[in-house]
Amino acid sequence: MTPPDSAVAVVAAGPRVPAAPAPRVVSLVNPANAVTASRFLCLPPFAWAVDQGHHQWATLFILVCGLLDKLDGLMARIFDCRSPFGELFDAITDGICYGFSLILVAAYGWAPVAPVVLIIALGLLNTAMRAVYAKRAGRPVNYKSYAMERIVGYTGYLVGFATAGFEVVFYYWLFVPLMAVIIAHDAKRMLVDPIPPAPPPAAEAAS
Amino acid sequence: MTTELVSWTAFEWFVTAVTGGVAGAWFVYDAINLVRVRGADGRDPLVRDRRFGYVVGMVIGLVGVVGCLRFHDVM
Repeated sequence: MTPPDSAVAVVAAGPRVPAAPAPRVVSLVNPANAVTASRFLCLPPFAWAVDQGHHQWATLFILVCGLLDKLDGLMARIFDCRSPFGELFDAITDGICYGFSLILVAAYGWAPVAPVVLIIALGLLNTAMRAVYAKRAGRPVNYKSYAMERIVGYTGYLVGFATAGFEVVFYYWLFVPLMAVIIAHDAKRMLVDPIPPAPPPAAEAAS
Repeated sequence: MTTELVSWTAFEWFVTAVTGGVAGAWFVYDAINLVRVRGADGRDPLVRDRRFGYVVGMVIGLVGVVGCLRFHDVM
């Protein structure tokens, strides 16, 4: 009795090994990054509202900007499009949106200038250390800090406190030492400690 | 477009609710997170970072609630 041709082919090929799935490529143009980019659209109406003295409208626009910040992470999970670039883009967008807004409210006298200058200076210092971290890693990588994530949320609120005239001096002056402590804490990990290995290719962003 | 969306009193209470509500929830959320990692290995830098982050979150939550109470002259 001779085996069928298919059986001969299987034996000749040896035991079947499941093929490794092809690395998943995440495009830079994805729903999460689109939501992140859309946050910039809040800035012109925010600047208009501050210029016109419309406190409530300014609060609304910065609130929308903050909600979009929460929404992009949700979109990344829903559409499974998380990427190191997306995280970096989100952090850069946070810096630009909140930095611009803080400077604006301070310039219009809605927030005290001294703490705003200190906050911007600390933010720039943090950005510089993140750039050093990415350079050490040799890839676009966002430094993950639980404390910094929380203080960034507080930054969004700072702008809202200024537009609403809500305990402005209290919130602004308490923010400064808190951010200084966090940056001092994160400095060692960003500048000195070994960098964790890169994630698998599936999570890398495509160019 | 009108210059105000709602009355100023309603607006103040809206900001109070958003600030105090989020800050209070934030305090409780990070307190629970901190309790959950209490048994983790403290020599792991990631665990230390998480603990520090949760403590910072609790401080921020407390600051948020205290600010609301100060605004309404409770403290």
